[in-house]
Amino acid sequence: MWARGGGVTDEDRLDRAETGRVLRRSMQFARPYRRTIWLAVGLVAASTACVVAGPLFVKLGLDRGVGHGSTSALNLAIAGYMVTVVVAYVVGRFQYLAINRAGEGFLRDLRVAVFGRMQAQSMAFFDRNKAGVLVSRMTADIESMAELIQWGLLQFVAAGLLLVMTTVLMVALSWELTLVVLLFVVPILGVASVRFQRQSNVAYLDIRERVGHNLSNLQEGIAGVRVIQAYGREKEQSRRFVESNRALYGSHLRAVRISTWYFGLVEWSGIVSIALIIGVGGFLVHGGSVAFGTVAAFVLLLANLFDPVQQLSQLYNTVQSAAAALHKLYLLMDTVPDVAEHPHPVPLPASGELSAHGVTFFYDGSERPALRDVTLAVAPGERLALVGPTGAGKSTLAKLLSRLYDPTEGHVSYGDVDLRLASLDSLRERVVVVPQEGFLFGGTVRDNIRIARADATDDEVVAALDAIGVKERFEALPEGLETEVRERGSRLSAGERQLVSLARAALVDPAVLVLDEATSNLDPGTEAVVEHALERLMEGRTVIVVAHRLSTVRRADRIVVVDHARIVEVGTHNQLVALGGRYAALADAWARSQPVVDPTSGR
Amino acid sequence: MGRRRGQQRTPSPGAGGWALLRATLQRQRKALLAGVLVGLLWSAGKVMVPKLTSLAVDKGILEGGSLWLWAFLLGATACIAGVFTAWRRWYAFRESRLTETRLREQLFDHILRLHVAYHDHTQTGQLMSRASSDLQQIQGFVVMIPVTASNLAMVMAVVAILVVQQPLLAVVALAPLPFLNVLATRFSRRIHPAVLAVQQEQAQLATVVEEAVSGVRVIKGFGAEPVTAARLATEANDIRTVSLEAARIRSNFLPALDLLPNLGLLAVLAMGGHRVLDGRMTPGQMLEFMQYIGLLVTPLRNLGMTVAFGQRAAAALLRVNEVLSTDPAVADPPQPRPLPGGARLGDVNFREVQFAYSAGAPVLRGFDLHIPAGTSVAVVGATGSGKSTIARLLTRFYDVTDGAIEVDGVDLRDLALGELRHAVSIVFEDTFLFHDSVAANIAFSRPDAPQADVERAARLAGAHDFVLDLPEGYGTMLGERGYSLSGGQRQRIALARAILSDPRVLVLDDATSAVDPSKEHEIREAMASVMEGRTTIVIAHRPGTIALADTVVLLDAGRVAATGTHDDLLATSPRYREVLAALAAEDDDEDVDGAIGAAPSSPSTTGRSGDG
Repeated sequence: MWARGGGVTDEDRLDRAETGRVLRRSMQFARPYRRTIWLAVGLVAASTACVVAGPLFVKLGLDRGVGHGSTSALNLAIAGYMVTVVVAYVVGRFQYLAINRAGEGFLRDLRVAVFGRMQAQSMAFFDRNKAGVLVSRMTADIESMAELIQWGLLQFVAAGLLLVMTTVLMVALSWELTLVVLLFVVPILGVASVRFQRQSNVAYLDIRERVGHNLSNLQEGIAGVRVIQAYGREKEQSRRFVESNRALYGSHLRAVRISTWYFGLVEWSGIVSIALIIGVGGFLVHGGSVAFGTVAAFVLLLANLFDPVQQLSQLYNTVQSAAAALHKLYLLMDTVPDVAEHPHPVPLPASGELSAHGVTFFYDGSERPALRDVTLAVAPGERLALVGPTGAGKSTLAKLLSRLYDPTEGHVSYGDVDLRLASLDSLRERVVVVPQEGFLFGGTVRDNIRIARADATDDEVVAALDAIGVKERFEALPEGLETEVRERGSRLSAGERQLVSLARAALVDPAVLVLDEATSNLDPGTEAVVEHALERLMEGRTVIVVAHRLSTVRRADRIVVVDHARIVEVGTHNQLVALGGRYAALADAWARSQPVVDPTSGR
Repeated sequence: MGRRRGQQRTPSPGAGGWALLRATLQRQRKALLAGVLVGLLWSAGKVMVPKLTSLAVDKGILEGGSLWLWAFLLGATACIAGVFTAWRRWYAFRESRLTETRLREQLFDHILRLHVAYHDHTQTGQLMSRASSDLQQIQGFVVMIPVTASNLAMVMAVVAILVVQQPLLAVVALAPLPFLNVLATRFSRRIHPAVLAVQQEQAQLATVVEEAVSGVRVIKGFGAEPVTAARLATEANDIRTVSLEAARIRSNFLPALDLLPNLGLLAVLAMGGHRVLDGRMTPGQMLEFMQYIGLLVTPLRNLGMTVAFGQRAAAALLRVNEVLSTDPAVADPPQPRPLPGGARLGDVNFREVQFAYSAGAPVLRGFDLHIPAGTSVAVVGATGSGKSTIARLLTRFYDVTDGAIEVDGVDLRDLALGELRHAVSIVFEDTFLFHDSVAANIAFSRPDAPQADVERAARLAGAHDFVLDLPEGYGTMLGERGYSLSGGQRQRIALARAILSDPRVLVLDDATSAVDPSKEHEIREAMASVMEGRTTIVIAHRPGTIALADTVVLLDAGRVAATGTHDDLLATSPRYREVLAALAAEDDDEDVDGAIGAAPSSPSTTGRSGDG
């Protein structure tokens, strides 16, 4: 599922085999916490036993104490009851801590492991899977389990144990009464709970969908308010919103109706059970086969039977969706990265020719090759521009040359070493891709530059800025390199973001630069600074640039025109213009779009 | 909060929120009252059960009377309690959802009417959370109203019964129970910030993940996976820390909440047991006491919760009310004047217009421009010169600070907003598409327009051909969850939208900036035919587009610096040449590449006030 296609699995139900696998896998994953888990289970069992023992002591007090007129027996029962109360309290405190310590530890490990695995995936994986889906794996899916761990897990275990222990105690006290209770309760409550669980699950999914739908209508209205006002369409938009809002209301009502009959039934059967115990129990007491205290204990024990059934049927859905979430996470963790380091990697030589040999490449799921049999050699120190129309394959070629993807056929080599054999560390040191948008991470300017080389010293970061001639510009920021880039008021301009991007490359000091040229608009002043910094960065390096500007193309040593997944023309600007082919047409279109002033001559 | 100072009435604190709730609940008072009544009946049924049990034990079992009578009475009570608990639940949830639903509609309605300046300063997310999570808090409180009423009644009834029967035992057994209420309240108050802290840490982790996903090119390019992995581990550890803190709070309270009723039961067993031994109390009564105490646990806990819920709902109500009590600064005049009818319509006159975005430096300082009906003007100016502001003032997104704008001789502020916005259409630089079909998006201005008109408009805007190439043609769904169009395609849809609305005055605000320059000439013809005979203001920076207008106005330092034809200005105004060169450099070469795999950034429509 993750290997190909969307990777979006929104199934919320697992079959039995899948559930089993998820459970086994989780147990493996929780191994470091097994002691804490066993401790928690032991504590839960102890406190449940106390809850169950309460009515037992009441029975003992009534029968042995009151029944036989024995004060000491009564006092013994009272003391016993007191012990259960105190033990339940003390144990209760620790069970929360134990179960949460194990649960939160498990979640922490899961977060780290899933994220690590996700990051190890290739670019193709990130193209294939929508960003929102990937983020929701790490957030919504894991949080749905956090909810279970914080609230549900303890309840789930405790309710299960309570049910079992209560039944055992009831049988021990009086099998006849137990039989009566179970014969009544199990069919009614069993069938009702299963039906309720099923119906409420459908209702819940329906609500979730409608909430999502309603929220996006809401969001659309707010985000589009300018257009709505501009065309005076407030009333119509409100009407549209009311439709989805009322549909959501209807779904809520359906869900309430389902829970209404269920909880009414539970209430009814709880009291009817008391009536049964009084009726049948009284009959048995009259016959002498059952002590009165037993009847009293049964009346008190009934609560232990009904509460857990309700809890379990409510928790069932939470547990199910947590299992489904885990299933999705394990699928992600099982996805083998398709651009991975070779088991026996070799370091790349310090310099060499970067070349593509008969490279053909298909994007996942695409029938049409993005590149077809491309062969190209870039000499050390050469400056190469890739041009061509949208979707021709020039960006793809740049990505293959830096091993963001592996070719479907053929191979890419640097200094005669196949990139697939090279160690990833040495590859990232030799070949650096500077993306067109200067993406910033949360943190300071310095942190952002150091992304490129985590072990760089402060001086090296400054040296990198100096190398591209922008040291002063960044030191002049309100807090210099310590400026938080995400904080209000200190946002970096588009130009400064690009400079950070260039400084990252300078910090690595690679032999080969792959540039996807920025297309965003900068003000002319900043534009000049960025151009200057880029020029200094390119000095003495092999440069491959996916070009969008005539000025850049003109400065290249060689121009490669890519069209329809092939290289169609190679040469210098003048050669290609003289050729009168694709490039000549493209250069002409560029020139025509700025007839007033040629920007390249202005700068 | 995007609270605006100055233009906005400060909402009255505290009281306003509850007044809002009262007004909403007023409409549902019958159903709520019914819910309370039904709840009281349920309480009565529940309270009968221990009593009947006790009587059954004493009279039926121990004294050997008829068992069937008591069993039957209990069965009948079961029916009462079962039916009325269901009914109470139904009323409580139905009414609370209705309150939530209605308030949400009221909010949405109001938000759509609030002036653009308000939206400039308020994030979409803020308004979203008013209409979702805040309303949920309110719903959670309203649901408690019938529940709390019946719980209170039950608690009082039980206490009365116990005190009448065995005053001393009642006092001892009930003594721990008020603490249940106190503890539950305190727990709710303590756990709330801890839960918020967990959510906050989760949000921080989400940020790291989002950055890692959207910045994946940087991370892959530099092999920076270990850096982000370390960041994630930090956040994951933080989540664990705050979650364990929340667990610690739970462990402090929840076992204590279980302990208190047990202490009451213990008291009954200890004191009651001895009383039964002494013959001062029957065994049935002791069982009755125990059942009653069990009966009180849930209502007392819930009462504590109600207090905490009420506090949260009050805070939410205050926030919701803050939005609802903000009056739209741009609204219909009390007595609107009609636009004159007649032949040549669309005369636009800017008179000495001064304008500043709230608390900012003035953008326009004495802008004077008369555009005779049916003529077109291109407004040219450097980035930040205020040219987009002109468009926004003309549709009254903002009101002028000083001076006036008139359409066909009528001050904009004297016109009904609906009429004004019908007469003036803007095509924005970034196009907002709704989650609807292409046809509906074009017909946004005239939903009843026949398909033929829609297609004609699309053809004029140069959109028809690419629309036909879409998977389902005019039926293709657009918007965030729909088919995503390129910037140029979006602009052409917007152009078609404006054409279909057939306004007196058309404003094209950089409306072709995202259209590939090599293709712009294709829609230039379309634009020319749309502009013919129609008052048009073109805000543009490409010479080809500028040349479409009859006159060109150079906007500099907030006023008209030069007027003339494009060629005149090129020849006579050095500043004009300078501005044009700068604009051309910004535009530079358009993106000729689709950058396969690069996520198309969704155009932001927020915070436009700083620009233009």
